[in-house]
Amino acid sequence: MELDLLIQMLGAAVIGSVLYTLIGIAPGTDETAVLAPVTLVLVLAGFEPIVILTFFMSAIVAKKLTDSIPVAVAGIPGGVMSAPMVDHAMVLKQHGIPDVSIRKMASGSVLGTIIAIPMSLLLASALIPLQDVIAEYSGQIFFGGAIFLALMTKNRWLALLSIVPFAFLIQGLRQFYWEIGVVPEGKTVFISFFLGITIGPVILKLFELLIPHIRKQMPRHGTKNISLYKTEREKGFPNPFKILDIKEIGTTSLSSFLGVLTFFMSPVGMTIFLGETLTSRIKDPIKRATRAISAMDGLTNASYIAGTLIPLIAIGLPLSPTAIGPANALFKAPPVFTEDHNMHHLLSMSDFVFASVIGSVVAIALTYYVTIKYAQPICAFVFKRVPHEAMLGLFFGLVLMLAFMEAGVVNIFGVMLIGLVAGLLHRKGINYGVQFMVLYAAPWLVSLFF
Amino acid sequence: MSDKMNEQVNNDEQYVEVWADLVKIKDLVLSIIISSMTTLGGYLLAPDDPPKPLIFGLIGAIVGFVISSFLIKPKRTFKYVEKEKQ
Repeated sequence: MELDLLIQMLGAAVIGSVLYTLIGIAPGTDETAVLAPVTLVLVLAGFEPIVILTFFMSAIVAKKLTDSIPVAVAGIPGGVMSAPMVDHAMVLKQHGIPDVSIRKMASGSVLGTIIAIPMSLLLASALIPLQDVIAEYSGQIFFGGAIFLALMTKNRWLALLSIVPFAFLIQGLRQFYWEIGVVPEGKTVFISFFLGITIGPVILKLFELLIPHIRKQMPRHGTKNISLYKTEREKGFPNPFKILDIKEIGTTSLSSFLGVLTFFMSPVGMTIFLGETLTSRIKDPIKRATRAISAMDGLTNASYIAGTLIPLIAIGLPLSPTAIGPANALFKAPPVFTEDHNMHHLLSMSDFVFASVIGSVVAIALTYYVTIKYAQPICAFVFKRVPHEAMLGLFFGLVLMLAFMEAGVVNIFGVMLIGLVAGLLHRKGINYGVQFMVLYAAPWLVSLFF
Repeated sequence: MSDKMNEQVNNDEQYVEVWADLVKIKDLVLSIIISSMTTLGGYLLAPDDPPKPLIFGLIGAIVGFVISSFLIKPKRTFKYVEKEKQ
Protein backbone atom coordinates (compact mmCIF):
# COMPACT_ATOMS: atom_id res chain seq x y z
CA MET A 1 0.00 0.00 0.00
CA GLU A 2 1.31 3.42 -0.91
CA LEU A 3 2.27 5.73 1.90
CA ASP A 4 0.24 8.57 0.44
CA LEU A 5 -2.96 6.53 0.49
CA LEU A 6 -2.27 5.33 4.02
CA ILE A 7 -1.88 8.91 5.22
CA GLN A 8 -5.16 9.84 3.54
CA MET A 9 -6.87 6.90 5.26
CA LEU A 10 -5.51 7.88 8.66
CA GLY A 11 -6.56 11.49 8.05
CA ALA A 12 -10.05 10.39 7.05
CA ALA A 13 -10.32 8.19 10.13
CA VAL A 14 -9.27 11.02 12.46
CA ILE A 15 -11.68 13.51 10.85
CA GLY A 16 -14.50 10.95 10.91
CA SER A 17 -14.00 10.19 14.59
CA VAL A 18 -13.72 13.81 15.73
CA LEU A 19 -16.70 14.98 13.68
CA TYR A 20 -18.99 12.13 14.72
CA THR A 21 -17.90 12.23 18.35
CA LEU A 22 -19.53 15.67 18.47
CA ILE A 23 -22.50 14.81 16.25
CA GLY A 24 -23.15 11.63 18.24
CA ILE A 25 -23.72 13.63 21.39
CA ALA A 26 -26.20 16.08 19.87
CA PRO A 27 -29.73 14.96 20.77
CA GLY A 28 -32.07 13.61 18.14
CA THR A 29 -29.53 12.98 15.41
CA ASP A 30 -30.83 10.23 13.18
CA GLU A 31 -28.04 8.00 11.88
CA THR A 32 -29.16 8.09 8.26
CA ALA A 33 -29.62 11.84 8.27
CA VAL A 34 -26.20 12.62 9.69
CA LEU A 35 -24.12 9.95 7.94
CA ALA A 36 -25.65 9.64 4.47
CA PRO A 37 -25.33 13.24 3.17
CA VAL A 38 -21.72 13.67 4.29
CA THR A 39 -20.65 10.30 2.88
CA LEU A 40 -22.46 11.12 -0.35
CA VAL A 41 -20.61 14.38 -0.79
CA LEU A 42 -17.28 12.65 -0.17
CA VAL A 43 -18.08 9.98 -2.76
CA LEU A 44 -19.18 12.54 -5.33
CA ALA A 45 -16.12 14.66 -4.60
CA GLY A 46 -14.04 11.81 -5.94
CA PHE A 47 -12.07 10.60 -2.91
CA GLU A 48 -10.53 7.12 -3.16
CA PRO A 49 -13.12 4.45 -2.26
CA ILE A 50 -10.84 2.95 0.38
CA VAL A 51 -10.44 6.37 2.04
CA ILE A 52 -14.21 6.85 2.11
CA LEU A 53 -14.77 3.42 3.62
CA THR A 54 -12.18 4.20 6.31
CA PHE A 55 -13.98 7.46 7.03
CA PHE A 56 -17.33 5.70 7.21
CA MET A 57 -16.09 2.96 9.54
CA SER A 58 -14.50 5.42 11.93
CA ALA A 59 -17.62 7.59 11.77
CA ILE A 60 -20.00 4.77 12.74
CA VAL A 61 -17.76 3.45 15.48
CA ALA A 62 -17.33 6.97 16.92
CA LYS A 63 -20.99 7.85 16.58
CA LYS A 64 -22.12 4.62 18.23
CA LEU A 65 -19.67 5.22 21.07
CA THR A 66 -20.87 8.71 21.81
CA ASP A 67 -24.57 8.62 21.12
CA SER A 68 -25.02 6.81 24.41
CA ILE A 69 -23.40 9.62 26.42
CA PRO A 70 -26.45 11.90 26.52
CA VAL A 71 -28.54 8.86 27.46
CA ALA A 72 -26.34 8.26 30.48
CA VAL A 73 -25.97 11.82 31.69
CA ALA A 74 -29.32 13.30 30.77
CA GLY A 75 -31.67 10.50 29.70
CA ILE A 76 -31.88 11.99 26.21
CA PRO A 77 -31.08 9.59 23.37
CA GLY A 78 -28.29 10.88 21.13
CA GLY A 79 -29.73 8.94 18.21
CA VAL A 80 -32.46 6.51 17.23
CA MET A 81 -30.25 3.56 18.11
CA SER A 82 -29.63 4.62 21.67
CA ALA A 83 -33.35 5.07 22.44
CA PRO A 84 -33.80 1.46 23.67
CA MET A 85 -31.16 2.07 26.35
CA VAL A 86 -32.91 5.02 27.98
CA ASP A 87 -34.84 3.00 30.56
CA HIS A 88 -31.83 1.07 31.82
CA ALA A 89 -29.60 4.14 31.84
CA MET A 90 -32.25 5.95 33.89
CA VAL A 91 -32.04 3.22 36.53
CA LEU A 92 -28.33 3.90 36.90
CA LYS A 93 -28.84 7.63 36.84
CA GLN A 94 -31.41 7.39 39.62
CA HIS A 95 -28.89 5.44 41.65
CA GLY A 96 -26.48 8.32 41.08
CA ILE A 97 -24.00 6.40 38.95
CA PRO A 98 -24.30 7.79 35.40
CA ASP A 99 -20.50 7.53 35.05
CA VAL A 100 -20.85 3.75 35.37
CA SER A 101 -23.39 3.85 32.50
CA ILE A 102 -20.98 5.68 30.24
CA ARG A 103 -18.12 3.33 30.98
CA LYS A 104 -20.19 0.19 30.54
CA MET A 105 -21.86 1.38 27.36
CA ALA A 106 -18.64 2.57 25.76
CA SER A 107 -16.87 -0.65 26.69
CA GLY A 108 -19.75 -2.74 25.33
CA SER A 109 -19.47 -0.72 22.15
CA VAL A 110 -15.74 -1.48 21.83
CA LEU A 111 -16.30 -5.18 22.47
CA GLY A 112 -19.08 -5.24 19.85
CA THR A 113 -16.74 -3.67 17.31
CA ILE A 114 -13.90 -6.09 18.05
CA ILE A 115 -16.24 -9.04 17.55
CA ALA A 116 -18.13 -7.67 14.56
CA ILE A 117 -15.25 -6.83 12.23
CA PRO A 118 -13.65 -10.28 11.85
CA MET A 119 -17.04 -12.00 11.96
CA SER A 120 -18.52 -9.76 9.27
CA LEU A 121 -15.53 -10.37 7.02
CA LEU A 122 -15.89 -14.14 7.49
CA LEU A 123 -19.65 -14.22 6.98
CA ALA A 124 -19.28 -12.00 3.91
CA SER A 125 -16.77 -14.39 2.34
CA ALA A 126 -19.17 -17.24 2.95
CA LEU A 127 -21.99 -15.38 1.17
CA ILE A 128 -19.98 -14.35 -1.91
CA PRO A 129 -21.09 -17.37 -4.04
CA LEU A 130 -24.68 -16.12 -3.85
CA GLN A 131 -23.94 -12.70 -5.29
CA ASP A 132 -24.81 -13.36 -8.95
CA VAL A 133 -28.20 -14.83 -8.15
CA ILE A 134 -29.01 -11.97 -5.82
CA ALA A 135 -27.85 -9.31 -8.27
CA GLU A 136 -29.98 -10.73 -11.07
CA TYR A 137 -33.18 -10.46 -9.05
CA SER A 138 -32.41 -7.19 -7.26
CA GLY A 139 -35.69 -5.50 -8.27
CA GLN A 140 -37.71 -8.41 -6.91
CA ILE A 141 -35.57 -8.57 -3.77
CA PHE A 142 -36.00 -4.88 -2.99
CA PHE A 143 -39.74 -5.18 -3.59
CA GLY A 144 -39.78 -8.19 -1.26
CA GLY A 145 -37.77 -6.17 1.25
CA ALA A 146 -40.29 -3.34 1.06
CA ILE A 147 -43.16 -5.78 1.70
CA PHE A 148 -41.29 -7.45 4.55
CA LEU A 149 -40.42 -4.16 6.25
CA ALA A 150 -43.95 -2.87 5.65
CA LEU A 151 -45.37 -5.90 7.47
CA MET A 152 -43.04 -5.12 10.38
CA THR A 153 -44.36 -1.58 10.87
CA LYS A 154 -47.18 -0.64 13.18
CA ASN A 155 -49.60 0.41 10.42
CA ARG A 156 -48.85 -2.51 8.18
CA TRP A 157 -51.80 -2.26 5.79
CA LEU A 158 -51.22 1.42 5.16
CA ALA A 159 -47.51 0.70 4.66
CA LEU A 160 -48.29 -2.07 2.14
CA LEU A 161 -50.76 0.10 0.28
CA SER A 162 -48.26 2.97 0.04
CA ILE A 163 -45.61 0.94 -1.83
CA VAL A 164 -46.97 1.16 -5.38
CA PRO A 165 -48.17 4.81 -5.28
CA PHE A 166 -44.84 5.92 -3.81
CA ALA A 167 -42.98 4.05 -6.57
CA PHE A 168 -45.20 5.85 -9.12
CA LEU A 169 -44.34 9.22 -7.62
CA ILE A 170 -40.61 8.49 -7.87
CA GLN A 171 -40.69 7.08 -11.42
CA GLY A 172 -43.18 9.74 -12.49
CA LEU A 173 -40.81 12.54 -11.53
CA ARG A 174 -37.91 10.83 -13.28
CA GLN A 175 -40.02 10.43 -16.45
CA PHE A 176 -41.01 14.08 -16.24
CA TYR A 177 -37.37 15.18 -15.99
CA TRP A 178 -36.52 13.14 -19.10
CA GLU A 179 -39.52 14.55 -20.91
CA ILE A 180 -38.61 18.19 -20.29
CA GLY A 181 -34.94 17.48 -20.88
CA VAL A 182 -33.40 18.66 -17.57
CA VAL A 183 -31.84 15.21 -17.26
CA PRO A 184 -30.60 13.18 -20.24
CA GLU A 185 -32.71 10.07 -20.97
CA GLY A 186 -31.40 7.06 -19.07
CA LYS A 187 -29.79 9.03 -16.26
CA THR A 188 -31.68 8.26 -13.06
CA VAL A 189 -32.11 10.93 -10.42
CA PHE A 190 -31.39 9.12 -7.17
CA ILE A 191 -29.30 10.99 -4.60
CA SER A 192 -31.62 13.91 -4.10
CA PHE A 193 -34.70 11.66 -3.87
CA PHE A 194 -32.90 9.63 -1.24
CA LEU A 195 -32.16 12.80 0.74
CA GLY A 196 -35.68 14.08 0.19
CA ILE A 197 -36.97 10.96 1.93
CA THR A 198 -34.40 11.38 4.70
CA ILE A 199 -35.38 14.92 5.59
CA GLY A 200 -39.06 14.34 4.74
CA PRO A 201 -40.24 14.66 8.36
CA VAL A 202 -38.52 18.04 8.67
CA ILE A 203 -39.89 19.30 5.33
CA LEU A 204 -43.42 18.34 6.38
CA LYS A 205 -42.98 20.15 9.70
CA LEU A 206 -41.63 23.27 7.98
CA PHE A 207 -44.63 23.37 5.67
CA GLU A 208 -46.94 23.02 8.63
CA LEU A 209 -45.31 26.03 10.24
CA LEU A 210 -46.65 28.02 7.28
CA ILE A 211 -50.25 27.17 8.16
CA PRO A 212 -51.43 29.67 10.79
CA HIS A 213 -53.96 27.51 12.62
CA ILE A 214 -51.64 24.49 12.78
CA ARG A 215 -48.77 26.68 13.93
CA LYS A 216 -50.91 28.10 16.72
CA GLN A 217 -51.98 24.62 17.81
CA MET A 218 -48.44 23.25 18.02
CA PRO A 219 -47.37 22.52 21.57
CA ARG A 220 -45.04 25.25 22.78
CA HIS A 221 -42.18 24.68 25.16
CA GLY A 222 -39.83 26.77 27.26
CA THR A 223 -36.12 26.01 27.21
CA LYS A 224 -35.26 22.39 27.81
CA ASN A 225 -33.71 21.92 31.22
CA ILE A 226 -31.02 19.30 31.35
CA SER A 227 -29.33 18.25 34.58
CA LEU A 228 -25.86 16.79 34.36
CA TYR A 229 -24.54 14.65 37.17
CA LYS A 230 -20.99 15.41 38.16
CA THR A 231 -18.79 12.43 37.51
CA GLU A 232 -15.25 11.59 38.44
CA ARG A 233 -12.53 11.48 35.85
CA GLU A 234 -10.93 8.16 35.00
CA LYS A 235 -7.15 7.82 35.31
CA GLY A 236 -4.88 6.18 32.71
CA PHE A 237 -5.95 4.59 29.44
CA PRO A 238 -9.23 2.74 29.98
CA ASN A 239 -9.39 -1.00 29.35
CA PRO A 240 -12.81 -2.29 28.33
CA PHE A 241 -12.04 -5.77 29.64
CA LYS A 242 -11.49 -4.37 33.14
CA ILE A 243 -14.51 -2.09 33.06
CA LEU A 244 -16.87 -4.93 32.15
CA ASP A 245 -17.15 -7.91 34.48
CA ILE A 246 -16.95 -11.44 33.14
CA LYS A 247 -20.72 -11.91 32.87
CA GLU A 248 -21.13 -8.64 31.03
CA ILE A 249 -18.37 -9.63 28.63
CA GLY A 250 -20.20 -12.92 28.03
CA THR A 251 -23.60 -11.39 27.37
CA THR A 252 -22.15 -8.59 25.26
CA SER A 253 -20.15 -11.05 23.14
CA LEU A 254 -23.21 -13.23 22.62
CA SER A 255 -25.46 -10.34 21.67
CA SER A 256 -22.81 -8.90 19.32
CA PHE A 257 -22.43 -12.30 17.68
CA LEU A 258 -26.19 -12.53 17.14
CA GLY A 259 -26.19 -8.94 15.93
CA VAL A 260 -23.79 -9.90 13.12
CA LEU A 261 -25.86 -12.94 12.11
CA THR A 262 -29.04 -10.86 11.92
CA PHE A 263 -27.42 -8.07 9.88
CA PHE A 264 -30.43 -7.94 7.55
CA MET A 265 -32.86 -7.18 10.39
CA SER A 266 -33.67 -3.79 11.93
CA PRO A 267 -30.87 -2.96 14.41
CA VAL A 268 -33.22 -1.10 16.76
CA GLY A 269 -35.66 -4.01 16.80
CA MET A 270 -32.92 -6.55 17.49
CA THR A 271 -31.44 -4.35 20.21
CA ILE A 272 -34.70 -4.16 22.08
CA PHE A 273 -35.52 -7.83 21.57
CA LEU A 274 -32.12 -9.34 22.43
CA GLY A 275 -31.19 -6.78 25.09
CA GLU A 276 -34.37 -7.51 27.02
CA THR A 277 -34.37 -11.27 26.45
CA LEU A 278 -30.78 -11.78 27.55
CA THR A 279 -31.15 -9.80 30.76
CA SER A 280 -34.76 -10.28 31.88
CA ARG A 281 -33.91 -12.91 34.49
CA ILE A 282 -31.42 -10.82 36.46
CA LYS A 283 -33.00 -9.66 39.74
CA ASP A 284 -30.71 -6.88 40.98
CA PRO A 285 -31.83 -3.74 39.10
CA ILE A 286 -28.34 -2.22 38.90
CA LYS A 287 -26.75 -5.42 37.64
CA ARG A 288 -29.54 -5.90 35.14
CA ALA A 289 -29.17 -2.34 33.89
CA THR A 290 -25.38 -2.52 33.44
CA ARG A 291 -25.64 -5.89 31.73
CA ALA A 292 -28.41 -4.65 29.43
CA ILE A 293 -26.73 -1.43 28.37
CA SER A 294 -23.35 -3.02 27.68
CA ALA A 295 -24.98 -5.82 25.70
CA MET A 296 -27.24 -3.43 23.79
CA ASP A 297 -24.43 -1.08 22.92
CA GLY A 298 -22.29 -3.98 21.74
CA LEU A 299 -25.15 -5.23 19.62
CA THR A 300 -25.92 -1.92 17.96
CA ASN A 301 -22.27 -1.57 16.99
CA ALA A 302 -22.06 -5.11 15.72
CA SER A 303 -25.25 -4.92 13.67
CA TYR A 304 -24.19 -1.60 12.19
CA ILE A 305 -20.78 -2.87 11.17
CA ALA A 306 -22.13 -6.17 9.85
CA GLY A 307 -25.00 -4.41 8.09
CA THR A 308 -22.49 -2.24 6.24
CA LEU A 309 -19.67 -4.68 5.52
CA ILE A 310 -21.52 -7.89 4.65
CA PRO A 311 -23.72 -6.51 1.85
CA LEU A 312 -20.83 -4.39 0.62
CA ILE A 313 -18.36 -7.26 0.41
CA ALA A 314 -20.62 -10.15 -0.51
CA ILE A 315 -23.36 -8.70 -2.69
CA GLY A 316 -22.77 -5.12 -3.78
CA LEU A 317 -26.43 -4.26 -3.19
CA PRO A 318 -27.69 -2.53 -0.02
CA LEU A 319 -29.58 -5.46 1.47
CA SER A 320 -29.67 -4.47 5.13
CA PRO A 321 -31.29 -1.56 6.98
CA THR A 322 -27.87 -0.02 7.65
CA ALA A 323 -26.73 -0.41 4.07
CA ILE A 324 -29.89 1.05 2.62
CA GLY A 325 -29.85 3.93 5.13
CA PRO A 326 -26.62 5.47 6.49
CA ALA A 327 -24.23 3.52 4.22
CA ASN A 328 -26.24 4.03 1.06
CA ALA A 329 -23.69 6.25 -0.66
CA LEU A 330 -21.16 3.41 -0.61
CA PHE A 331 -23.49 1.42 -2.89
CA LYS A 332 -25.13 3.97 -5.09
CA ALA A 333 -24.12 7.56 -5.73
CA PRO A 334 -24.39 8.13 -9.47
CA PRO A 335 -22.33 8.92 -11.44
CA VAL A 336 -19.48 7.71 -9.19
CA PHE A 337 -21.07 4.56 -7.79
CA THR A 338 -23.85 2.55 -9.42
CA GLU A 339 -25.28 -0.90 -8.81
CA ASP A 340 -22.72 -2.42 -11.20
CA HIS A 341 -19.80 -0.27 -10.18
CA ASN A 342 -19.39 0.48 -6.48
CA MET A 343 -17.12 -0.37 -3.59
CA HIS A 344 -18.06 -4.02 -3.94
CA HIS A 345 -16.47 -4.06 -7.40
CA LEU A 346 -13.64 -1.63 -6.74
CA LEU A 347 -12.15 -2.86 -3.47
CA SER A 348 -10.39 -6.15 -2.81
CA MET A 349 -10.82 -8.21 0.35
CA SER A 350 -7.57 -6.83 1.75
CA ASP A 351 -8.79 -3.28 1.06
CA PHE A 352 -11.92 -4.01 3.08
CA VAL A 353 -9.86 -5.43 5.92
CA PHE A 354 -7.47 -2.46 5.93
CA ALA A 355 -10.18 0.18 5.79
CA SER A 356 -12.28 -1.47 8.52
CA VAL A 357 -9.34 -2.02 10.83
CA ILE A 358 -7.80 1.44 10.41
CA GLY A 359 -11.15 3.19 10.68
CA SER A 360 -12.29 1.35 13.78
CA VAL A 361 -8.92 1.30 15.56
CA VAL A 362 -8.50 5.06 15.14
CA ALA A 363 -12.07 5.68 16.28
CA ILE A 364 -11.70 3.43 19.31
CA ALA A 365 -8.33 4.93 20.26
CA LEU A 366 -9.58 8.51 20.01
CA THR A 367 -13.24 8.33 20.86
CA TYR A 368 -13.21 5.61 23.49
CA TYR A 369 -10.43 7.39 25.36
CA VAL A 370 -12.15 10.75 25.09
CA THR A 371 -15.57 9.30 25.97
CA ILE A 372 -14.38 7.68 29.16
CA LYS A 373 -12.32 10.68 30.22
CA TYR A 374 -14.17 13.75 29.01
CA ALA A 375 -17.78 12.70 28.48
CA GLN A 376 -19.06 15.49 30.66
CA PRO A 377 -17.29 18.58 29.31
CA ILE A 378 -18.08 17.46 25.75
CA CYS A 379 -21.75 17.07 26.61
CA ALA A 380 -21.76 20.50 28.21
CA PHE A 381 -20.14 22.01 25.12
CA VAL A 382 -22.63 20.48 22.70
CA PHE A 383 -25.67 21.34 24.82
CA LYS A 384 -24.50 24.90 25.39
CA ARG A 385 -22.98 25.82 22.03
CA VAL A 386 -24.59 23.80 19.23
CA PRO A 387 -28.10 25.03 18.44
CA HIS A 388 -30.49 22.53 16.89
CA GLU A 389 -31.44 25.16 14.32
CA ALA A 390 -27.88 25.19 12.94
CA MET A 391 -27.94 21.43 12.43
CA LEU A 392 -31.30 21.53 10.64
CA GLY A 393 -29.99 24.40 8.51
CA LEU A 394 -26.87 22.41 7.63
CA PHE A 395 -28.85 19.42 6.34
CA PHE A 396 -31.30 21.64 4.52
CA GLY A 397 -28.42 23.40 2.75
CA LEU A 398 -26.79 20.13 1.71
CA VAL A 399 -30.04 18.73 0.34
CA LEU A 400 -30.70 21.93 -1.59
CA MET A 401 -27.26 21.81 -3.17
CA LEU A 402 -27.46 18.14 -4.16
CA ALA A 403 -30.99 18.58 -5.54
CA PHE A 404 -29.80 21.47 -7.68
CA MET A 405 -26.73 19.53 -8.78
CA GLU A 406 -28.71 16.53 -10.02
CA ALA A 407 -31.40 18.22 -12.06
CA GLY A 408 -31.40 21.99 -11.59
CA VAL A 409 -34.04 24.25 -10.07
CA VAL A 410 -36.93 21.99 -11.14
CA ASN A 411 -35.55 19.26 -8.93
CA ILE A 412 -35.57 21.49 -5.84
CA PHE A 413 -39.35 21.44 -6.16
CA GLY A 414 -39.30 17.75 -7.03
CA VAL A 415 -37.37 16.94 -3.88
CA MET A 416 -39.76 19.11 -1.89
CA LEU A 417 -42.65 17.02 -3.23
CA ILE A 418 -40.90 13.74 -2.40
CA GLY A 419 -40.05 15.10 1.04
CA LEU A 420 -43.66 16.11 1.74
CA VAL A 421 -45.04 12.71 0.78
CA ALA A 422 -42.23 10.84 2.56
CA GLY A 423 -42.67 12.98 5.67
CA LEU A 424 -46.38 12.24 5.74
CA LEU A 425 -45.78 8.51 5.30
CA HIS A 426 -43.12 8.64 8.00
CA ARG A 427 -45.51 10.30 10.40
CA LYS A 428 -48.07 7.58 9.73
CA GLY A 429 -45.55 4.98 10.87
CA ILE A 430 -44.07 3.94 7.52
CA ASN A 431 -40.39 4.02 8.35
CA TYR A 432 -37.35 4.90 6.26
CA GLY A 433 -36.61 1.24 5.55
CA VAL A 434 -39.83 0.72 3.59
CA GLN A 435 -39.43 4.00 1.71
CA PHE A 436 -35.80 3.36 0.73
CA MET A 437 -36.66 -0.16 -0.47
CA VAL A 438 -39.38 1.35 -2.67
CA LEU A 439 -36.90 3.91 -4.02
CA TYR A 440 -34.67 1.04 -5.14
CA ALA A 441 -37.50 -1.16 -6.41
CA ALA A 442 -39.36 1.65 -8.22
CA PRO A 443 -37.96 1.18 -11.79
CA TRP A 444 -38.69 -2.56 -11.78
CA LEU A 445 -42.02 -2.22 -9.99
CA VAL A 446 -43.37 0.45 -12.33
CA SER A 447 -42.17 -1.45 -15.42
CA LEU A 448 -44.52 -4.29 -14.44
CA PHE A 449 -47.51 -2.10 -15.22
CA PHE A 450 -46.55 -1.12 -18.78
CA MET B 1 -41.31 10.30 28.13
CA SER B 2 -41.26 13.94 29.18
CA ASP B 3 -40.79 13.34 32.90
CA LYS B 4 -37.95 10.97 32.12
CA MET B 5 -36.17 13.54 30.07
CA ASN B 6 -35.99 16.05 32.89
CA GLU B 7 -37.92 18.55 30.86
CA GLN B 8 -39.51 21.40 32.66
CA VAL B 9 -41.69 23.93 31.03
CA ASN B 10 -40.85 27.56 31.62
CA ASN B 11 -43.36 30.36 31.61
CA ASP B 12 -42.38 31.94 28.33
CA GLU B 13 -43.24 29.08 26.02
CA GLN B 14 -42.31 29.97 22.49
CA TYR B 15 -40.36 27.03 21.11
CA VAL B 16 -41.67 24.21 18.95
CA GLU B 17 -40.26 20.74 18.59
CA VAL B 18 -38.78 19.81 15.21
CA TRP B 19 -37.02 16.46 14.93
CA ALA B 20 -36.69 15.66 18.63
CA ASP B 21 -35.31 18.97 19.86
CA LEU B 22 -36.62 22.49 20.43
CA VAL B 23 -36.29 25.37 18.01
CA LYS B 24 -37.52 28.94 17.74
CA ILE B 25 -39.24 29.38 14.39
CA LYS B 26 -37.51 32.70 13.61
CA ASP B 27 -34.08 31.24 14.38
CA LEU B 28 -34.81 28.18 12.27
CA VAL B 29 -35.76 30.34 9.30
CA LEU B 30 -32.60 32.40 9.83
CA SER B 31 -30.34 29.36 9.94
CA ILE B 32 -31.98 27.81 6.88
CA ILE B 33 -31.46 31.05 4.96
CA ILE B 34 -27.83 31.31 6.08
CA SER B 35 -26.99 27.69 5.30
CA SER B 36 -28.77 27.72 1.95
CA MET B 37 -26.94 30.87 0.90
CA THR B 38 -23.48 29.70 1.97
CA THR B 39 -23.92 26.18 0.60
CA LEU B 40 -25.52 27.03 -2.74
CA GLY B 41 -23.32 30.14 -2.94
CA GLY B 42 -20.18 28.05 -2.57
CA TYR B 43 -21.46 25.62 -5.17
CA LEU B 44 -22.35 28.28 -7.73
CA LEU B 45 -19.30 30.48 -7.23
CA ALA B 46 -16.81 27.61 -7.50
CA PRO B 47 -14.85 27.15 -10.75
CA ASP B 48 -16.78 24.90 -13.11
CA ASP B 49 -14.43 21.95 -12.80
CA PRO B 50 -15.81 18.93 -10.96
CA PRO B 51 -15.51 18.10 -8.11
CA LYS B 52 -14.66 21.69 -7.09
CA PRO B 53 -18.28 22.93 -6.91
CA LEU B 54 -19.12 20.17 -4.44
CA ILE B 55 -16.10 20.83 -2.26
CA PHE B 56 -16.82 24.58 -2.23
CA GLY B 57 -20.43 23.78 -1.41
CA LEU B 58 -19.37 21.55 1.47
CA ILE B 59 -17.08 24.26 2.82
CA GLY B 60 -20.00 26.69 2.45
CA ALA B 61 -22.19 24.29 4.46
CA ILE B 62 -19.67 24.18 7.29
CA VAL B 63 -19.26 27.98 7.23
CA GLY B 64 -23.04 28.36 7.41
CA PHE B 65 -23.20 25.95 10.32
CA VAL B 66 -20.54 27.88 12.24
CA ILE B 67 -22.20 31.26 11.55
CA SER B 68 -25.60 29.92 12.66
CA SER B 69 -24.06 28.44 15.80
CA PHE B 70 -22.64 31.84 16.74
CA LEU B 71 -25.82 33.77 16.00
CA ILE B 72 -28.35 31.39 17.52
CA LYS B 73 -28.56 30.36 21.14
CA PRO B 74 -29.44 26.72 21.84
CA LYS B 75 -32.84 26.30 23.49
CA ARG B 76 -31.45 24.29 26.36
CA THR B 77 -30.39 25.27 29.83
CA PHE B 78 -28.49 22.90 31.96
CA LYS B 79 -27.01 22.66 35.37
CA TYR B 80 -24.65 20.36 37.18
CA VAL B 81 -26.10 18.20 39.91
CA GLU B 82 -23.85 16.83 42.62
CA LYS B 83 -23.58 13.08 42.56
CA GLU B 84 -25.65 11.51 45.29
CA LYS B 85 -23.73 9.10 47.46
CA GLN B 86 -25.65 5.99 48.32
